[in-house]
Amino acid sequence: MELNFTGLTAALATFLGVWLGHVAVRKVEFVSPTIWLPTSIFTLFGIGLEILSLRSTNAQLSAAFGILGITMLWDALEFTRQQRRIKKGHAPANPNNPRHARIMAEHSSATTLDLLKRDPVGRPVLQDEAIRLIKKHS
Amino acid sequence: MNWFGLLLAIVTLFIIGSGFVWVIRGERYFGHPWWPYLMGLGFLLVLSSLFLASNWASALLGVFGASIIWGSTELKEQAIRAELGWYPSRAKKVQLPFADIIKKWKAPHL
Repeated sequence: MELNFTGLTAALATFLGVWLGHVAVRKVEFVSPTIWLPTSIFTLFGIGLEILSLRSTNAQLSAAFGILGITMLWDALEFTRQQRRIKKGHAPANPNNPRHARIMAEHSSATTLDLLKRDPVGRPVLQDEAIRLIKKHS
Repeated sequence: MNWFGLLLAIVTLFIIGSGFVWVIRGERYFGHPWWPYLMGLGFLLVLSSLFLASNWASALLGVFGASIIWGSTELKEQAIRAELGWYPSRAKKVQLPFADIIKKWKAPHL
């Protein structure tokens, strides 16, 4: 029987698209002085990949371009969502980024700490302990 | 024009989107020490996609499997978010088999 590699290609595109997007959005939003610039760049690349997908005659190429393109379009929206996480203190702020410095001045909830960088303890954790736990972990 | 990739991508978006929901719910009820089951299931689905003749069926199974593998790597962080009170948490978790052993393993996170 002949193997069909379309699913494996689509799976790799999905996993790598989500993984790279996950890392890229965090890193780029951390350093970028504006949100609109990375949002625009990711939108353009996303649309470009969809055009490539539409023009591919090969099913595997069409699938890979289509999926990578749509994850980049989603990432474009994620820059705004990531900024919201910074405001809430759910993701670490970068005081050297002027946009983040402004957020830190306006939102007392913003923090430079990454409160997720530890192992679960299996019970509710209040702010003071949450900070102790990540310090112990690092 | 080949619409396969774009249509598949739109369905992929919904499959990934459903991941946000089931990771949150799954962590609430089972905690995080069931990630190996999910990861195993995900790999099994991707592997099965090789044996489907239809491109649509193969691609959808592959995407679904990949999304489940990704979700398995998100459970640990979701458990911490729930501990911090960012998501509703349920004190009494349903313990799946070997949860105590799995807890001693390093949970993957990307």
